[in-house]
Amino acid sequence: MTAVLNRSLQSVALITWGSALVYFHVSNRMVKYLAPDFRLIAFAGGLALVVIGLFTLLTCRELASCGHDHGPEDEHDHENLDIHPFGAFLIMVVPLLLTISWTKDQYSLGALTRKGLNDTAADAGSLFLSSALPPLTKEIIEQQHPPNADGYRPFPLMELFFTSADPEVRELVEGMPVVTEGRLVPDAEGPPNRRRLYRLFITCCAADSRPIPIVAEFEEGEIPQVEDNTWMTLSGTISFPDEGEGNFALLKVDIAQETEPPFEESFMRGF
Amino acid sequence: MSPDAQQDFAFAFLSILYEGAPFILLGTLISGFIDIDLPANTMDRLLPKRTLPAIFIAGLLGGILPVCECAVVPVIRRLVKKGLPVSCALTYMLAAPIVNPITALSTWKAFKGPIVSLGEFGTVTASTAMTVSRLGLGFLVAVAVGIIVARIPLRKILRPRLLDSLRHDDSHHAEEDSDHDHCDHDHHGHDDHICGHEHHDHPKHDCGHDHDHHDCEHGHSHEDDKRFGSRMIAAFRSAMRDFVDVGVYFTIGVTITALFNTGIAPGADWLDTLAENPWEAPAALMLLAFVLSLCSTSDAFIAATLDKFTWGAKLAFLTFGPMMDVKLIFLYQTVLKRRFILLLALGLFITIGLACVAWQAGVTALNP
Repeated sequence: MTAVLNRSLQSVALITWGSALVYFHVSNRMVKYLAPDFRLIAFAGGLALVVIGLFTLLTCRELASCGHDHGPEDEHDHENLDIHPFGAFLIMVVPLLLTISWTKDQYSLGALTRKGLNDTAADAGSLFLSSALPPLTKEIIEQQHPPNADGYRPFPLMELFFTSADPEVRELVEGMPVVTEGRLVPDAEGPPNRRRLYRLFITCCAADSRPIPIVAEFEEGEIPQVEDNTWMTLSGTISFPDEGEGNFALLKVDIAQETEPPFEESFMRGF
Repeated sequence: MSPDAQQDFAFAFLSILYEGAPFILLGTLISGFIDIDLPANTMDRLLPKRTLPAIFIAGLLGGILPVCECAVVPVIRRLVKKGLPVSCALTYMLAAPIVNPITALSTWKAFKGPIVSLGEFGTVTASTAMTVSRLGLGFLVAVAVGIIVARIPLRKILRPRLLDSLRHDDSHHAEEDSDHDHCDHDHHGHDDHICGHEHHDHPKHDCGHDHDHHDCEHGHSHEDDKRFGSRMIAAFRSAMRDFVDVGVYFTIGVTITALFNTGIAPGADWLDTLAENPWEAPAALMLLAFVLSLCSTSDAFIAATLDKFTWGAKLAFLTFGPMMDVKLIFLYQTVLKRRFILLLALGLFITIGLACVAWQAGVTALNP
C-alpha cells in the first residue's frame, strides 16, 4: 500500500470520527450521551479531528521532513501502523457507522431494568445527593416547592426517589400533592395498574448511567395508552410504602399528560 | 443480535467512544509533537540520573502532565522511543492517570459527604480518606512496578517491533558516534535504557536529532526542512498514526466494554452477591473496573454509588481500574508484550487487592 493511500485512509478515519462527534453535538443528540462537562470537550475534539484529518488529507502528497536524522537505510518512519492500514480503517469506521445507524439515543427496557429500573432508593447506594441535603421541616419543603395552579407541588423525580430512603424527609413529604415528569415504562414487578416513571442519572456518559425510578399508580381504565419511554407529566399524591423490599416512592396519579422532553433529559452530575 | 440489543450496544458504545476520543486525541497530539519537536533528552533532564529516584519522580510526573489512561499510552510509547527508560515510562504510565490533579479533584468531589470513622483517632471525611489513599496507593504500586521492571530485560517487556526500533536507533547512534568522533554519551547507568537519545550537554551536537547537517549523512532532502510547515505536516502525520493505532485498540475495547455494560455479554449479576465478603468484594470491584473501563477522571463517581461495598473495595476499584482494564489491555499491546501484560495484570490484581484488604481491615479494627 502506498504512503499516500495509507495517509488518505487514516485521514478519512479521523474525519469520520470527528464528523460523528461534531454532528451529535450540533444536532443536540450529545446531551443524551455525555454529561455537560464532557460535551464541549467532545465537540472540540471532534472539530480538531476533522481539521487534522482534512489537513493530513490535503497534504498527503507533500514531502515532509520529520526533522530526525534517518540514515539512508533507516527504515523507521512515523506513519506505518501496527496493523494493516485497511484493517485499521475498517475497525475504526465500521463499528462507528453501524452503531450510529442502530442507536435510538436511549436504552431499551431490558437494559434499563438491568441498570436498576426496579431498584429502590435504598438499593441505589451512597445517596451522595441526599447526604448533602440540609435538615428540613415541612415548611421549608413547601417553600421550596410552591404549588402550581392545580395545587400540585413540582418535585424533581430524583428528589422523590431519594426521599424514599430518608425516614425524616419521607415523613414530611408523605401525602403531599406533587407533580413530576419522566419517561413512562411498564412496571414488570408490580400490579397491572402500575407503571414506572424514570429519568436517567448520568455521571459521565450514558454507559455510566442508571435509571432513577418512582412507581406511578393509576386508577383502572386511566392508564395512559402511550409507547414505552414516552415523556409524561404526572400529578398526584406521593407516598412511600414498604411492600416488603424497602420503602419506595409511589405516586397515585390524578392527572397524566404527555409532555415534551426537557433539553437535559437526564439528571447530570454537577461539579 | 436483537434490535433491542443493537440499540443498547450502540448507545453504550457511542457514549464511551465520544467520551474517550478527545482524550486520545489530546494524548496523540502531545505524542506527535513529542515525536517531532521534543528534544530527545528533555524527559531525561526532568528525571534524576539514578534509576531509583528517577522512578520515584516518574510516578509524580502526572502532577504536571495530567493525562488519563487512554491518553498516556501513546505518550509513553513515544517517550520510550525517544529514550525514556522503560522502568520510568511504565511508572509514569501507571501513576499518571491516578496521581494527577484532575483525578484528585474528581475523587474528592465524588466522595464528599460521608464520614469515615477512625475509632479513637476521630473521623475523617470520605473525600480526604479516599483521595489520599487512592493517590498514595496508585503512586506506590506504580513505583513498585517501575523498580521491578528496571530489573527485567527489555525483550521480555516490549513488543518486538518497538524493541527493534529502539535497537535500530541505538545502533544508528553508535554509527553516528563513530562518524562524528565525539559525544560522551551518558546512559545514566540504566541497564534497561536502550535510549540512543540522551546525549547530555553536548554544546553543538545535541543529538536530539538536530545535528549540524554538515556532519552527517541524512536520508531526507534538506530542502524539505526549509519548507514552511514541513515539520508541522510530519507532526500531524505522526499524531494521526498514533491516533489510528490507539483508536483501533480503543474501538475493540469499547466494543467489549459496551457488550458487558449492557448485559449482552454474560456474567455481571453475581457481583452484588460478593459485596460483604472482605476478600471477594475488592476482587469483584477490580473485576468490575476491568470490565467497565472507565476513565480515571470520572470513575470515582461510579465507585461512590456502590454503597453495598466497603471503602477498601472501592479503593481497589479506583486504583486497579486506571491501571488495567479491557480497553487498556488493547492499548497496552501497542507497547508491551502480551505475556508481560498478563503478568502485570496479575501482579496488580494481587498487590492492589491485598493492599485494599489490609486497608479495610485497618479501618475495621479501629471501629470494633
